[in-house]
Amino acid sequence: MGRTSNVPPAREAVPVTELIEIADYITKLKRGIAALRAQELTRDRIPMAHDELGSVVAATASATNRIMESAEAMLAIEAKTLPEYRAQVEAHIGDIFEACTFQDITGQRISKVVEALGQLEKRLSQFSTVVNVRDGEAEHDAEEARRKARAETLMLNGPQLKGPATPQDAIDALFS
Amino acid sequence: MALDLGMPILVVDDYQTMVRIIRNLLKQLGFEDVDDASDGTGALAKLKTKKYGLVISDWNMEPMTGYELLRHVRADDALRTTPFIMVTAESKTENVIAAKKAGVNNYIVKPFNAQTLKTKIEAVCGA
Repeated sequence: MGRTSNVPPAREAVPVTELIEIADYITKLKRGIAALRAQELTRDRIPMAHDELGSVVAATASATNRIMESAEAMLAIEAKTLPEYRAQVEAHIGDIFEACTFQDITGQRISKVVEALGQLEKRLSQFSTVVNVRDGEAEHDAEEARRKARAETLMLNGPQLKGPATPQDAIDALFS
Repeated sequence: MALDLGMPILVVDDYQTMVRIIRNLLKQLGFEDVDDASDGTGALAKLKTKKYGLVISDWNMEPMTGYELLRHVRADDALRTTPFIMVTAESKTENVIAAKKAGVNNYIVKPFNAQTLKTKIEAVCGA
């Protein structure tokens, strides 16, 4: 029976060239991280995008409400004469035109968000080039996993980008 | 058979604006008895306390979707014959087929117009 040695194996020497490569990589990594300007993104750009989109949702909802109120008011007009009816309808149409001015402002807000997302995409792309790594398995976020599983099971695909995936005519054919 | 304009209709959608639009369209068509719920759970509770002649439901809602509501309705002996129209932005063929298999009577893709809603109600409620 052989004797078991308690002496740890000798550490292999790391070649100097490898150390230099590691040091270079760390330097590039630090430059890449600095170029990301992650603090600026999380402090300014992402909250700004969040706020702008929130304003867009609020402005759209407010305009829709105003337009619907005007439309409902028009449906309820009980004028005695045609000129009176016409005057009331025109007043409500004026309100609808005013409500539609939200489009200009929300367009500008969305442009700011698109610009911020473009910056984020550019910096992440540069960073992934610098660090030269492939996508790995991210740690599983339980809430995200639950949301994905629910969406898959209940077929929650949401609206399609370029109009309905199945036109109404094709759906009607399935029910005829 | 003429449409029964007195029949109660339940509109299920989590967007109050959409509920308001459908309510107005139904009012224009002559329906006056319209209730609403903001998801499948609320809708089921209402369906168990009042006999509705038609359910018009969105698909994507929390916590209970319109698809789950449809399956609950079709699995309940007291509710299974209630006409059910899905009005949704879910336009993938898999959604339409799944809803049809689950027993939906008709399917409308958003955005839609008053004429489409009218045609489907007539088809489902036998005008």
